[in-house]
Amino acid sequence: MKLLFLLKEGFAGFRRARLAVTITLATITLALALLGLFGLVAQNLSDSFQRVFYQIRLEVFVDPSLGESDFQTLKSEIEGIEAVQSAEYISPRAALQEFEKDFGKDLVAVLESNPLPPSFRVMLKTGRSRPEAIQAVVRRIEALKAVDEVVYPENLIRLLDKYFLLGIVIAAGLGAAIFIISTLLIFNTIRLAIHSRQRVIEIMRLVGATDAFIKAPFIFEGVLQGMIGGLLAAGLLWLAGDLVRYLFLPGLAVPWLYLAGLVITGILLGFIGSYLSVGKYLNT
Amino acid sequence: MIELFNVSVKIDNRPVLNDISLQITKGEFVYLIGKTGAGKTTLMRLIYMDLFPAKGNVIVDRYSSSTIRRKEIPFLRRRVGVVFQDFKLLPDRTVFDNVAFALQVIGAPKRTIRARALSALSRVGLNHKRYQMPHHLSGGEQQRAAIARALVNEPFILLADEPTGNLDPQVSTEILALLESINRSGTAVLMATHNYGLIRQFPHRTLLVENGKITAGEAP
Repeated sequence: MKLLFLLKEGFAGFRRARLAVTITLATITLALALLGLFGLVAQNLSDSFQRVFYQIRLEVFVDPSLGESDFQTLKSEIEGIEAVQSAEYISPRAALQEFEKDFGKDLVAVLESNPLPPSFRVMLKTGRSRPEAIQAVVRRIEALKAVDEVVYPENLIRLLDKYFLLGIVIAAGLGAAIFIISTLLIFNTIRLAIHSRQRVIEIMRLVGATDAFIKAPFIFEGVLQGMIGGLLAAGLLWLAGDLVRYLFLPGLAVPWLYLAGLVITGILLGFIGSYLSVGKYLNT
Repeated sequence: MIELFNVSVKIDNRPVLNDISLQITKGEFVYLIGKTGAGKTTLMRLIYMDLFPAKGNVIVDRYSSSTIRRKEIPFLRRRVGVVFQDFKLLPDRTVFDNVAFALQVIGAPKRTIRARALSALSRVGLNHKRYQMPHHLSGGEQQRAAIARALVNEPFILLADEPTGNLDPQVSTEILALLESINRSGTAVLMATHNYGLIRQFPHRTLLVENGKITAGEAP
């Protein structure tokens, strides 16, 4: 009976204060959508950066006089380095084919011999490593016998790393600001909605309702609003993501985890906001 | 059953009541008179423990202001009915729901709620309007609904803070007659009022709140 009454009161709150509830829901939805939008943009930018890093290959040129078995040993040695994902042997012939494919020129016809040395194309394990870490790997490979030279886009890595770090700092600051603003906005809206019903709280106190009994319907309502706001925000983002994917960015990712996170954030903010707001009226 | 011992109250550092002692016995009817701001409402708030004395002690039923715990206050309030000049009804519920609300929020069983709400509405003569919204009622009827809500928990005392302040003389007399009938059935009544005509018409023990003190008074 008690639970039924509390649930009924919670739902009835929606019906009784339609305007306040609509404003609260709209605020929660927009605040969470803003938060989610920021998260998605940050996530997709970060993914793009990581993809660039992931595509970075070290070209390891080796002594052309080595025999087949030496290449196998060297491959094992390179792959034995902790940060290395794989090392692919590129024979001079394969290198020539790639060159011709990329540049369309018959190199042998011009130079009368294949000038390209045998090499290994080394892929690193982590999607993104600091330039120092990549440099350390390069040094270890260079130290191997029979390795002539390691070529890799060092400047590009440094540039990307610098902007990636800057991006993280800006995103963290912006994310924190958006989160704080969203939270305050949601709290304040819930507080106003509860304020508009302080007579109910006053009467409940007057006729001897316990604090828990007074709080429960408001908290239930807050959680419900947070959940609905979170679902609406998740729906909006999902639709917006679909639209952007269709129109501009086919690779755009809208992970389900984000959408679920928005709903959970909504529920938590609804709970905390209503708990604090109704508590304020009980302590006066 | 209600006793105040050497009670002093300050609100925002301003002394409102100063070293007052008072006793209201079971089933008594007492008027509180005095100028606006003299401390009549403060005295009532002390009784339903919405306010605590800076000095002294307030005993209500088996609760004492000096020892009561916060979580016991709701249980004290179930034993004390309160009505106000502005009725304090919930405008978005019917008369019946307003009265039933006082039982719902203390977790009473559904069947009890219906029976007791109907009984309280009968006592104040408002059963026929139980499905109306408060704004469809006259002032006197709204006050009756508020009284029914205060009575539904069967309190031992009814605190009425200027219950006729918003009502015309004829309706005021009806409300006082209702309070008297409630009192005759054993519920004590403490009523703050400026309406001295009513006091003369329905004479009872009268207390004057003045300059922070309470003295035996009589309607001028």
